[in-house]
Amino acid sequence: MDRHFSRRTGAAGLRGSTLLALAAATGLGAAAPAMAQTPQRGGTLIAAADTEPRNLNPAMVASNGVFYVSSKVIEPLAEMDYDEGLRPVLATGWEGSEDGLSITFTLREGVRWHDGEPFTSADVAFSAMEVWKPLQNLGRSIFANLEAVDTPDDLTAVFRFSEPTPVQLIENALPAVSAVLPRHLYEGTEIAENPLNAAPLGTGPFVFAEHRPGEFYRLTRNDDYWAEGLPYLDAIVQRVLPDAGAKAAALETGDIHLTAFSAVPLTDMARLDAIDGVSVIPGGYEGITYHITVEINHRREELANPLVRQALRHAIDTDFLVDVVFLGFATPSTGPVPSSAADFYTDDVPTYDFDPARAESLLDEAGYPRGADGTRFSLRLRPAPWFAQTRDTGDYVRQALQEVGIAVELVTADPGGHIRAVYTEHDFDLAIGSPVWRNDPAISTTILFRGGQPAGVPFANQYGYDDPEMNALIDAAATELDRDARVALYHDFQRKVAEDLPILNLVDFTFITVARDELQNVANNPRWATSSWADTWIAQ
Amino acid sequence: MTGLMRATGVVGAAILLALLALALAADQIAPGDPLRMVGRPLLAPFADARFPLGTDQLGRDIWAGLVHGARVSLTVGAVAAAAAICVGILVGTLAGFLGGLADDVLMRVTEAVQTIPTFLLALALVSVLGASAVNVVIAIALSSWPPTARLVRAEVLRVRTLDYVDAARVAGRAPLAIAFLEVLPGALQPVVALIGITVGEAILVESALAFLGLSDPNLQSWGAMIANGRATLRVAPWLVILPGIAIALAVLSVSLTGDSLAARLGARRRA
Repeated sequence: MDRHFSRRTGAAGLRGSTLLALAAATGLGAAAPAMAQTPQRGGTLIAAADTEPRNLNPAMVASNGVFYVSSKVIEPLAEMDYDEGLRPVLATGWEGSEDGLSITFTLREGVRWHDGEPFTSADVAFSAMEVWKPLQNLGRSIFANLEAVDTPDDLTAVFRFSEPTPVQLIENALPAVSAVLPRHLYEGTEIAENPLNAAPLGTGPFVFAEHRPGEFYRLTRNDDYWAEGLPYLDAIVQRVLPDAGAKAAALETGDIHLTAFSAVPLTDMARLDAIDGVSVIPGGYEGITYHITVEINHRREELANPLVRQALRHAIDTDFLVDVVFLGFATPSTGPVPSSAADFYTDDVPTYDFDPARAESLLDEAGYPRGADGTRFSLRLRPAPWFAQTRDTGDYVRQALQEVGIAVELVTADPGGHIRAVYTEHDFDLAIGSPVWRNDPAISTTILFRGGQPAGVPFANQYGYDDPEMNALIDAAATELDRDARVALYHDFQRKVAEDLPILNLVDFTFITVARDELQNVANNPRWATSSWADTWIAQ
Repeated sequence: MTGLMRATGVVGAAILLALLALALAADQIAPGDPLRMVGRPLLAPFADARFPLGTDQLGRDIWAGLVHGARVSLTVGAVAAAAAICVGILVGTLAGFLGGLADDVLMRVTEAVQTIPTFLLALALVSVLGASAVNVVIAIALSSWPPTARLVRAEVLRVRTLDYVDAARVAGRAPLAIAFLEVLPGALQPVVALIGITVGEAILVESALAFLGLSDPNLQSWGAMIANGRATLRVAPWLVILPGIAIALAVLSVSLTGDSLAARLGARRRA
């Protein structure tokens, strides 16, 4: 069995000193004794809703807003776990062939869909071939080489690939991309238009009961769940609340038990944490770490010069960003792999200290001296509009670059306009981006550096950077079957990124959960908010 | 004109002059870019002499933001209102003086624009044109000229039948010269009463656009400061309250000054 588990610990992702102090003082400390108690059955968990996605089908739309609701209803083949790395869910085991051309999954016995039909390998084959590969945002690239899924019996699914495919990549992708749909309800229908996309039906611990738009989602206990005794909760309600202030107030008054995805303002965290019965819980999101990056348009003559890019990196103080913009809830980056991803991370890369004087001398050396008005050249900076932190980082980067003589004009747009301007029209000099790390560089990270992306592919290399050596490195790692060799290639990749600085990785951040203390088993896996909550319970 | 009216007019004018002085001297009072992160984040007002009104969550000086914001709000408000009033005067004079088909077409267009709420129209225009100070001025001007146009037209209809206009016509002056040199000056007095309202509304629309993130991100403005402070309302309410007071004072002072000016002109006309 080719199951290579890495030990991950809850603290791995929490490097910032403020964060550790906070964790020690509060959330994690408080949660520890509670876990020793015997879980109690019953109760309704009321959480603040995240977004209300139109399509709740996680096999089609692998996004956190979708998972937050549907991961309780529809299950993946495996889920992330702090102790084991990967915890079997609908698959109990998997093994890759020597040549890397097939992976055999053994499926769980005795699992039933919420309508009573048995779950079989045919459901997995259908989901993989008809949904993940052709329709899913992440699956399209991960399963691009998937040719067929054979089903020799009801509990075995054999994935056949046209090119050698590393088991490690598939394993790392399973939690996000492998939600299994009921074939008997989807086959023969227009999958994208199926009404079940708005009212999902799965094998999970909770049954989708009701969605009232603008009001709430209600999920009820699946009494026929395959795991004995689970789930503990009778129901989950996700209430739609108008804004961050209302969410914070609802937590204080006990109207809700939980907000996830940093739904309350960071500046409110200390205040909420001081309230009896409410805890701020960092952790539980290591599997969905975000980067804050400066995206660079290499089509600008100045920015194509590596010395200028190095100068930009030296001019930006990432500690300041961590302390002020993120109030300590972030970690300075050394590159495109976050330090919490112990499997792939290396700190053996060139680093660029905050050193404005060095930035100035690099700019002089590059041939861009300060002009009579103190300005070397001007750039247009587009901060991504979706997070307060991307906008605030834009404000800071503008100031930091002006400090070294680069005039910066901020340009803002709505999310659609921003994505079009940066990823289709390339109408930017610099942009502040927020790409997601999803457990393996090949899932959503290398696409930021591989040349040859057609215009219009968002969150990909639309930067005009196309380096043969970088491309070769990425391609070699994509088909390398040996785990150690693959990791070594990704170490080289991180070094190459740090040398070339095609884009600047500034800080890594994950989200924060704020929960009432009666809620137990919170943040106990690296994708907790987007996991099944089968073992979550309420102390009465 | 009552004593109270005169007193409020004086108060309004005093506040307006103070705001204008702050706006004009912004670079001397609070030198440098008000968007710079200069101090410890979230300092309370009156806690640190260097930042008399405190700092926001990124350590930006609130006092500097308010002073430079006054410049943006008053400039955008005044320029947008001036542009709107000019458009309104042009449309109103032509419609009233020419009459007939031209009047019908111009007034139907005016009504069409007037049926769209000012703020929604400005919002749509800025969304399309892009967020910059010039575009905000254009959007406000294009969405707030109809009241002026209607008022001017009504006055022109009244004035153009007066004897001195007939006299000009008999004297053989060109129709457009009669419209703009003879009729218009006589019709302008009530427009003065509209100036206060139009400028006040322009300041409010500018602040609301900034609040929604549709202002020039390279300039500090009161609306943007309120939007920024909203997330920290519970821990740092002054981030919302101070620029809120600034907007209220600006609109109030413009409105009081405008009213008092109009009342004074009206009194002189009756006298």
